[in-house]
Amino acid sequence: MSEFKHVDEYPEIPVSTAVSSTILKTGAWRNMRPIKVESRSPCTESCPAAVPIPRYLHELATGDPAAAHATFTLRNPFPRITGRVCPHPCEDACNRTDAPLAIRALERFMGDEARGLPDPTAETETGRRVAVVGSGPAGLAAAYYLRRSGHAVTVFESRPEPGGMLRYGIPEYRLPSTLVDEEIERLTGLGVEFRTRIRLGTDVTIEGLEQDFDAIFAAIGAGMGTALGIEGESLTEPGLEFLERLAEGAAELHGERCAVIGGGNTAMDVARALRRLGATVTVLYRRTEAEMPAIAEEHAAATADGVRFEFLAQPRSVAKVPAGLSVSVETMRLGDPDDSGRPRPEPTGEMRSLTFDVVFTAVGERAEVDLLPPDLRGDDGWPAVGPHGETPNERIFVGGDLATGPATVVDAIAWGRRAVDAINARIGGGYEIPLWMLEERAEVIGPTGVNRATFAPLPRVETPEMSPEDRLAAGFTEETATIVAAAALAEIERCFSCGYCNSCGTCFVFCPDAAITWDDGPIFDFDYCKGCGVCTSECPGHVLLFVKEKAYG
Amino acid sequence: MGERHLLTGNHAAAYGAKLARAEVVSAYPITPQTMIVELLSEMVATGELEARFITVESEHSAMAACVGASAAGARAYTATSGQGLALMHEMLHWATGARLPIVLSNVSRAMGPGWSIWAEQTDFLSQRDTGWMMLFAESVQEAQDFVIWMYRVAEQVLLPGMVSMDAFILSHTSEPLIVHDQSAVDAYLPPWEPLYTLDPAEPRAYGGLVNRDHYFELRYKAYEAMDRARGLMDEAGREFGEALGSAYGPVEEFMLDDAEYVFVSAGAMTSNVRYAVTQLRERGIKAGLLRLIAFRPFPFEPIREHLAGRTKVAVLDRNMSPGHSGIFASEIRAALAGLPGAPPIFGYVLGIGGRDIRVETVFEVADDLVTRDDPERALYVGVKGLPIGPTRPGTVITPLEPLEGVAP
Repeated sequence: MSEFKHVDEYPEIPVSTAVSSTILKTGAWRNMRPIKVESRSPCTESCPAAVPIPRYLHELATGDPAAAHATFTLRNPFPRITGRVCPHPCEDACNRTDAPLAIRALERFMGDEARGLPDPTAETETGRRVAVVGSGPAGLAAAYYLRRSGHAVTVFESRPEPGGMLRYGIPEYRLPSTLVDEEIERLTGLGVEFRTRIRLGTDVTIEGLEQDFDAIFAAIGAGMGTALGIEGESLTEPGLEFLERLAEGAAELHGERCAVIGGGNTAMDVARALRRLGATVTVLYRRTEAEMPAIAEEHAAATADGVRFEFLAQPRSVAKVPAGLSVSVETMRLGDPDDSGRPRPEPTGEMRSLTFDVVFTAVGERAEVDLLPPDLRGDDGWPAVGPHGETPNERIFVGGDLATGPATVVDAIAWGRRAVDAINARIGGGYEIPLWMLEERAEVIGPTGVNRATFAPLPRVETPEMSPEDRLAAGFTEETATIVAAAALAEIERCFSCGYCNSCGTCFVFCPDAAITWDDGPIFDFDYCKGCGVCTSECPGHVLLFVKEKAYG
Repeated sequence: MGERHLLTGNHAAAYGAKLARAEVVSAYPITPQTMIVELLSEMVATGELEARFITVESEHSAMAACVGASAAGARAYTATSGQGLALMHEMLHWATGARLPIVLSNVSRAMGPGWSIWAEQTDFLSQRDTGWMMLFAESVQEAQDFVIWMYRVAEQVLLPGMVSMDAFILSHTSEPLIVHDQSAVDAYLPPWEPLYTLDPAEPRAYGGLVNRDHYFELRYKAYEAMDRARGLMDEAGREFGEALGSAYGPVEEFMLDDAEYVFVSAGAMTSNVRYAVTQLRERGIKAGLLRLIAFRPFPFEPIREHLAGRTKVAVLDRNMSPGHSGIFASEIRAALAGLPGAPPIFGYVLGIGGRDIRVETVFEVADDLVTRDDPERALYVGVKGLPIGPTRPGTVITPLEPLEGVAP
C-alpha cells in the first residue's frame, strides 16, 4: 500500500496478505502464563488400582478400544471382571453431583469391546523365574504383570481350577465362570504356567519354592470361614464351602427354610444363591442395615430377590428340634463405636427362637497364615507386609486378602501389581510406564476444580439387569448385561474429564489472541500469548493452570 | 403482485429481511424491536428462511457478528432500538470502514434515563456520522420495502444502511401489507457478489493498521461512495416501482404545488401531518408537506427545489440536538444556505419521548407558524405550562428536590 500515489490506486478496504500483526510479538507483555499439567481425577484417586479413568474413557470415546484397553491394563488387567463385581469407589468419588458417572458399566463395556485384543508382552525375557501361590485376583494380576516384565511365571493353585474367589467365591449370576476361564486362557496365552491341585504346606512349601524360584508371591487369600463360637455350631454350614460346592456344581439344598448369619458380601452371595435354588432365606445380622459391610447394590439386590433381613439379631445357640434347627436369637441394640468405627452391638437380654432347616454362617473370613514360614509373620500372627508386599525375606512377597484380610477384587488386583513392582526392583525386569503417568500431578481435582459452566445435567446410563422374577427363574445365568455402544458414548459425554485433557478444544476456541494452535491438544504460542488466563479459567477439567511467568523466565 | 396481509411494522421488517434472503441474522432482543427477530428466528427454525440465526449477548456483539458474516460474503441483517443501537455504535463505524453492506432496522425510541420505550428519533440520528445510509419508514409497507431497497443500494456502493421505524406507532401498528413474490424480489435484488471474502486457504487481514499515510484516501473512497449512493438510491427507488409496484425516492411531496406554508416531517408522524395539511387547505391556508425519507445521503437537490420561494417552512423534529436545534431543522437550514429565495426555517421540536403528535398538534404549530414573525432556532411544542416558543433566557437552575408522586 505504501507505493500508492493516487487515491484511485487504493482498494476499498485495507487488505494485507504478506504481513500481519504477527510482527508485534505481544507475548512480551505477559507476566502470567498457562501451562498444561494433568492432575489426578477423584475417580482414579479413589480406585485401589488407580486406573486412569478419564484417559481410557476418552480413548474409548474416540473409537479406539485397543488404546483404552492398553491404558486400563497399565493398572488393572481384568476390566471384564472388575467391570462386573467392583464396588466402584470411583463412582462414590465422582465430581458429578447430578448422578455419578456409571464408571463400572463403562469399564465392563470397554473390557467386552477389547476382548481378544493382544496384551503387550516383554521385549526380552529376563531369565528369572517367579512363583505365584494362589490364583485369585491378586495372584492372577501378579502373574500378568510378571509376564509383561519378562519373567517366567508359575502359578500354584490348590483347587482343581484356577481363579480362586473369582471362581469359587462369586456366584455365577454375578461373574460367569466362562469369563474367568477366558481370562485364565489369556494368561496362559501370555506364557503363564498354571499348576492346579498343588496345596501349599502339603504339596509344596515356601522353603521348597525358594530353591527353584527367584521370587515368590504368596496370595492364598482368606478362604477360611470364621467360627461363631456358639453352642450347636456344628449343626451350621460354612457359607464359603456352600459357594465352593455351588461353583463345582455339587451344591444340594437340604431344606427349604434357610438362615444366613452375617451381613457381608459372602452372606449376600449365599442368600441370593439359595433363593435361586428355591429356598426361603432369612439373613440374621447383629447390627443394622447402615452398618452392613456388603456392597449396597448386593444388599438391594438380595432384598429384591426376596431375601428377608432380621437386623440387631445375634444368634446365641443352634439346636436340633423335630421341626428342623432352632436358632436362639438375642435382640441387640447399637452402642458406642468400636475399633471399626461402627456402633458396637450390645445385648438387651431379649431372646426369641427362629426355626430353619439349614443355617449357614458367613461372619468373616480369615487366611491360613499358618502356611507361611513363622519368620514372615508379625506379632499378631498376620504376615508382616510393606506397602508393596515386601516381607522380612527379600525373595518373598505377600498380597491380597492374605495381607489385609477380606477385601475386594480390585484391592487384590492392586496388591498383585504393586508386588510385581517390588519384585522387579529386586530381580530386574519391568514393563513400560508411559511418560504421562510420571508427569501427572498428585493433586486431586475436587468438585470446585472443574468448570461446571460447561456441563449440563444429563441422565446416567444404568447397567441393564433382569427383573427379580426373571433372574430367579433364570437360575444362575448372568443377571446383568453390558451396555450398548451408544449408551456408553452418551455416558462418556457426561464425564467432566477432571484433570485430564480430552482435547475438547475449549481453550482453542476461547483464546482471544489466537495464540493456541492445535495438535491433538493445545500448543501455546508464547510469542503472542499475552497471559490473559482466559484459557485456564475456561478449561473444563482444570488441566490448564495459570502460573507466574517469573518461574519460567 | 404478492399477497396482501394485515401485519405490524415489526413483522413487515422481518418479511423484508426474508424477501431479501438475508443469510445471517444476529440480534439481541430489545423492546420494541424484539418481534422482528422473533419472527426471523421462527422463520430460520422452520427452514422458511435459509439463514444462520446467531444469538448474542449484546447489540455490540450482534453487529460484530454481522460484520464477520458480511466480511465472509453473507448478506447480514439485524434489528435493534434505542439503547441497543447506541451500544452498537462502535461496530457501526467498523461496518462502514470495512465497507460491508449490512442492513439494520431500528425501531426508534427515546434514550434513557428517564427510562422510555416510546417513539423518538434521537437514537437513530445520533448515528448520523457513522457513514451508514439512513432511511425513515412511514408505513408498514415501507418497513418491509425499505429493507429490500436498502440492500440493493448498499451492495452497489459497499456501505451499510439503516431503516428507522417509529416505536409502537409503526412497529406495533397493523396495516395492510403486500408481501411481494419472492421471484420478483429476487429479480430486483440479485445475490450479492462481494469484492472480498474470507477464505482460510488464502488468509488475509482486513481492516488493519494503516497509519496517517493511507487512512484519508480509504475514507475518501467511502465519502465518494456515499455521494454516489444518492443517484443510485433514486434509481433503485424508481426501479422498485417498476419491479414491485411502489416507487420510492429520497423525499415525498404532498400538496406542494402552490403551497406557501410547508411542513417538513419524517417517519410515522407524517401521516397525521399529511391529514392536517388537507384540513388546513380546507381552512384556506395554502399548506403543503415535504416528507424526508432519506437522511443519508442527504437529499440536497430536492429539498432546495421544493422549499425555495415558500413563505415559511416549519420543520417538525421528533428529535433534538441539545444546544442546537431539532436535527432536521439544522440540516435543512444548512442545505438552503446561500440559496436565492430561501424561506425562513421555523424549527419545531415536538413529540419527545413518545408524546402524541396529533392532528390538533399540527394545527397549533400552523397557528404559531402563520403568526410568528421571526424564525426561531428551536420552538418547543407542548412543554407543560409553556406556550410554543424557544427556551426561556436566563432560566435559573433549581437545586434538586425530591420528586413527589413518582412511582417507586
